[in-house]
Amino acid sequence: MSCPKTDYLLQEYFSGSLSTQASAEFDKHLAKCGECRAELDTLLLTGRELLSWQDQRVPHWDRGLGLFKREHAAMPKATGWFERWQWAPTAASFAMLCLLLLNTSVSVSDLGFEIAFGGSADRAEIDRSLATFEAQQLAEIESLIRRFEARQDSNNVQLLQAVMEQTQQSTAESLDRIYAYFEEQRLRDLQDMQLGYQQLADSDYATLRSLQELAQFVSYRDTAR
Amino acid sequence: MSLIYEDEALIAAALAGSPHAWEKLVKRYESRVFNQGLRLMGNPSDAMDLLQEVFLGVYRNLHRFRGDAKFSSWLFRIAHNKAIDLSRRKRLLAGTPLNAEREADPLDSLLADRQQEPEISLMHSQLNRRIVERLSQLPLAQRLVVELKVFQSMTFEEIADMQDISENTAKTRFYAALKKLKQTTEGEHVLS
Repeated sequence: MSCPKTDYLLQEYFSGSLSTQASAEFDKHLAKCGECRAELDTLLLTGRELLSWQDQRVPHWDRGLGLFKREHAAMPKATGWFERWQWAPTAASFAMLCLLLLNTSVSVSDLGFEIAFGGSADRAEIDRSLATFEAQQLAEIESLIRRFEARQDSNNVQLLQAVMEQTQQSTAESLDRIYAYFEEQRLRDLQDMQLGYQQLADSDYATLRSLQELAQFVSYRDTAR
Repeated sequence: MSLIYEDEALIAAALAGSPHAWEKLVKRYESRVFNQGLRLMGNPSDAMDLLQEVFLGVYRNLHRFRGDAKFSSWLFRIAHNKAIDLSRRKRLLAGTPLNAEREADPLDSLLADRQQEPEISLMHSQLNRRIVERLSQLPLAQRLVVELKVFQSMTFEEIADMQDISENTAKTRFYAALKKLKQTTEGEHVLS
């Protein structure tokens, strides 16, 4: 390449920075410089050949879907309006329930507006209500105690009756047994007494006979003398 | 609906967890990224690696996409940076004997890939093979400028901004690349 301008001109040409005037001079130079023209043609051809690239089909791959599904399955996200706001009715219901349970009231006055929980009754009324409630509770408790005591008394009486019946039965049975025992002992004593009297009588009889014999002996001896 | 608005809708749906939207978004750009990978990396295997890395990067950073620029610009900036990273990694791995051989002649790896992976033997087009062969003779910096200028139709200003270089450097690299490609072409013609 003997033309000294070729490199400079072609670089300017391919950089797209040729001004209108420079472009005209470039065309003028090309018209008379076959070397630069040939070089330009070859470079343009080279560029065109690059553009003949045919896009090739992408081999099969999972497109990162495995990773995508794995990571999004671990952290599911709401996708639509309904999914994003489906908690709202539940929250509203809960808030309404809280307001009802707390008996919330809003009152507007000159000082502004105030929110009160549990109604707006004054202190005396509350005290009266409390006293009434307390009296009711006490009366109810006393009534319950009385009923309880009555039930306990009834139960005690029934228990005592049952015990006494049992005791009476057992006492009667014991007296019968004692009476029978005493009767038996009395009969046995009578028999023993009869037997003693008999023995005593027998002994008396023997004594009498001895006395009779002694008397007979004495009389005999006296007679004999 | 324009492509930009459609992109934005797909991004929003993907961020909300729709796999269908993500797949549609990937399908829309995968061919351009894959073919860019073929031209820059020189073989289908590395092009697939690049494709996967690019979309993994997109997935990881999708929530950061503000919509200030077009999604395609943002995506191809990621692709550009990933291609540089992958090429550097390959160059580092070239220290081992196995890869040193591949680095010596990128077309060898291309042919080897074709034999080993018939399913992705994508270099069926003679023209494409020739283009890859010529591009592989260029240094990476020049190859990137050619890719951005010729195939992505970017201006030198945009190229300079993307590569963080001056516009003049971008122009010089492009012209140097064209001259080198021309020499390679002339060499082929002489051989044939």
